[in-house]
Amino acid sequence: MDLTLNVNGRPREFTAEPNELLVERLRDGLGLTGTKVGCDTGQCGSCVVRLDGRSAKSCLVLTVAAAGSEVTTIEGVATPGGELTGLQEALRQEHGTQCGFCTPGMVMALGELVENTADGDAPTEPEIREWLTGNLCRCTGYHGVVRGVQRACASARAAAPGTDAVCDAMADAVTAASGQEG
Amino acid sequence: MTAATGESVLQGQGVLGRPLDSREDPHLLRGEAKYVADIDLPGTAHMAILGSPVAHARILSIDTKAAEQLPGVLKVATAADFTDVMPLPCIWIPGGVESHFPPHPYGLPGARPVLTGDAVRHVGDPIAAVVAETPRQAAAALAAIDVEYEPLPVVTRADEALREGAPQLHEAVPGNLNAYWTCGDKDRTDAAIAAAEVTVELDLVNQRTINSPIEPRGAVGDYDPATGEYTLYASTQGPHNHRFLLAALVLGIPFNKLRVVAPTVGGSFGTKGYLYPDMPLVLLLSKALGRPVKWVDTRTGLMNSTVQGRDHRQHVTLAGTRDGRITAVRATSHANLGAYPSTIGPGVATALMGRSISGMYDIDAAFCEVYAAFTNTVPLGAQRGSGRAEAAFLMERLVDRYASEIGMDPAAVRRKNLVPKEKFPYDNGLGWTYDSGDYRLNFDRAIELSGYADMPARKTEARARGKRLGVGIASYVAVCGVGPSTRMSKEGMLGGTWESANIRVHPTGEVTVTVGSASTGQSHGTVFAQVAADELGIDPDTVQVYEGDTLKAPYGQGTYGSRSYSMAAPAIALTARKIKSKLVKAGAVFLGVPEEKVVYAGGKVYEEGNEENTKTFAELAMAMWYGWGLPPEIEPALDETTHFDPPDFNYPFGTHVAVVEIDELTGETEVVAYTAVDDAGNIGNPKVVLGQIEGSIVHGLGQALMEHAEYDENGLLLSSDLGHYALPRAFDAPFFSLDKTTTPSPHNPLGAKGAGEIATVPPAAAVVNAVVDALSDLGVIHIDMPVTPEKVWRRLRGEAR
Repeated sequence: MDLTLNVNGRPREFTAEPNELLVERLRDGLGLTGTKVGCDTGQCGSCVVRLDGRSAKSCLVLTVAAAGSEVTTIEGVATPGGELTGLQEALRQEHGTQCGFCTPGMVMALGELVENTADGDAPTEPEIREWLTGNLCRCTGYHGVVRGVQRACASARAAAPGTDAVCDAMADAVTAASGQEG
Repeated sequence: MTAATGESVLQGQGVLGRPLDSREDPHLLRGEAKYVADIDLPGTAHMAILGSPVAHARILSIDTKAAEQLPGVLKVATAADFTDVMPLPCIWIPGGVESHFPPHPYGLPGARPVLTGDAVRHVGDPIAAVVAETPRQAAAALAAIDVEYEPLPVVTRADEALREGAPQLHEAVPGNLNAYWTCGDKDRTDAAIAAAEVTVELDLVNQRTINSPIEPRGAVGDYDPATGEYTLYASTQGPHNHRFLLAALVLGIPFNKLRVVAPTVGGSFGTKGYLYPDMPLVLLLSKALGRPVKWVDTRTGLMNSTVQGRDHRQHVTLAGTRDGRITAVRATSHANLGAYPSTIGPGVATALMGRSISGMYDIDAAFCEVYAAFTNTVPLGAQRGSGRAEAAFLMERLVDRYASEIGMDPAAVRRKNLVPKEKFPYDNGLGWTYDSGDYRLNFDRAIELSGYADMPARKTEARARGKRLGVGIASYVAVCGVGPSTRMSKEGMLGGTWESANIRVHPTGEVTVTVGSASTGQSHGTVFAQVAADELGIDPDTVQVYEGDTLKAPYGQGTYGSRSYSMAAPAIALTARKIKSKLVKAGAVFLGVPEEKVVYAGGKVYEEGNEENTKTFAELAMAMWYGWGLPPEIEPALDETTHFDPPDFNYPFGTHVAVVEIDELTGETEVVAYTAVDDAGNIGNPKVVLGQIEGSIVHGLGQALMEHAEYDENGLLLSSDLGHYALPRAFDAPFFSLDKTTTPSPHNPLGAKGAGEIATVPPAAAVVNAVVDALSDLGVIHIDMPVTPEKVWRRLRGEAR
């Protein structure tokens, strides 16, 4: 079928088989490999993109079903080598990514949460964790990610100690222990 | 807690020990990093692998004709195509190799062929490979391959595989026994147990788990007929290791004709250090077709092919006095190796576990025996904390059982038996000599931080809410820093286990560090730059780190067993010292003073007592590049390499305390608080290590509460996708209370110990101890993992295990 998708603000026209998955179109057809495939069954969240503003798992969407939609992938969030968004910067400062494979999906899913957070109405820690239900990470244990979202939602910053503060407290303990060790 | 000041320096005088932001992160956050699946070489063809649908059968015939006729199909390969290719070697053979020149592992009983032709031995066992123009065409052709099977009986448990009359997997391995392995002193231990005032015993199942990196494995093979060179791009923890195994032991091609590249790797946790059939397949098929061949696994494929972890069935015994002094520990374990010996799986199941069972305790008599058996399951390998986690689980369960038996507080029993500080280096009687530690300082800090003294009141308060609160402690020692090559040869490791680094100082003063290790997400580029910058006294932003490509990097062994910071980083530090030493010699020439008057500090050399007479690092770099005026004994340029082989392992340790609440109505267990105090020696970047500790704990909680690779009686893996194999999600773990102690290791110049996976070692034990504590008034003395709501619910209703 001939169809059009608006991908990262740009109309893309192509022919797609009826059973083609959106993630295949993005990765193989359009070369947008920032979107990852971790499980094929919609459980890991590595393939999350924004579809008309809402986060969606692109391994569960047929390309034809997305026809005419606005699709935003990780490449549409920050340009290659370009400036990070506030959320990305916050995730960086809290080291919310290690191997990075789940990260693009996390950024896309969390982008919706952060964008829809008005100042003074930051999500609580349980709300952030609930929102992350659809994204699996095996490296971080999610803690750096949750701290990153808290940092990104300005008014939530004081809710929990950030990574630097935890590191600092641990470093103090180190110094004390080292002292005893001589 | 104070705000970050950037001044919390642990060592050196510069950037080491500071929580610098990871320089890899922006790349990852923008989705720019290239993983294997993102590599798209011109002309690439795509490979799919036919895995067996049954767990055990003789192959009567394979008919590929129909598949070959399908659209896009370029080649269908079976075992018959690879008769001159050797099987995949196992390079850790428990019990030790007999010489430094061991027989070629071609003859290793039970070794896995590249494709199996005679029989299938587990669901997923690779039978055929299809290469086609597109991934979909390749996958579709698998269904057209007609394989005729003669079903054979199936066995999935190690203990059952060793019984008389059990199904036999390999003709060359009668009785399915790969290895009977022991450590410690059996007679002394048996005598101590026989003479003891108190003995306690447990039967434990350390269930099989699946590592589940979020990136499934992949491989791209690219053969160049013009040069005869092969290139393999693979999600690997050790490109040099894979090069060695593939070139020398499987393909039999010249070493210098194979290049292995690890691009960005999406997590591993042990699994990507192994040799898999897909690796030789993409290389051989690329050569056969004259095109690059690419293979990317699916999640279900991963779960039926990539090495799995743990899987021991154990009978364990602890003896002690009535007043809480442990006198002996003994373990008999049946380890399930799966259908074939994986690259190092047999060593993981024996030495890593067995030598670690006494943990942080000073015990006079200890013994462990392991029966490692083949079964009709996916081969066993490492899983984050491998071996050591299984050891900690059995020991820490026993200590709680013992404390309960003698009516003592579990914390008091542990404290009484910790190896005292003055006993280091401490020989644990099982083969490890602990390098350094202050276990009491560590233990007391964890107990204090956890609020242990308040637990009785918290239990009462929880009960009023319909919750049973339990608290569980687990301590551990985790051997890391593999390792001393000669020592590892005695453990049966075929191959050196040293690590390497090269430093090149460019004429403009920037520095390139190249290491033989390879990151799977540990921010090596950040931390290794800190190490070099700290030693050289320069800005880390001027240091670039490369790794993961055998063409560019010095030989090395890769990342595994939390080794990179205590193996590769010391190699960097020692190399930087060579650079400094050369600059002191050259500095004498450039400054016009005797060498003993030259001081190297803060990234420059100067004359002692006359700091005006000085050259900066950048000036020296340029001068060394020109080489003008250097005496013959000083070579121009700054380019040094070190191969670091440590005198012994290092031994990080720690104490974790889990607090759980069990819902009396549903049996659901929630971890409501978790305290961890780990000691990884000197740390290079606390921010990076913090992330690894947090992730490791959650991984351990996963084993305790939800993860289980469950096979049915036909050998079918029931939990073969992420809908059936439960991984911890964001709401499954609260924020943790973390702290650390620091006892530097004497076995490397940084005082470093392993860190990356150590915190995966104790959580399963801590959580199960907490659950048993919460249920103890019901007469519960043990509960098998994973501790599901159903299991707990049945116990709450008085059912036996």
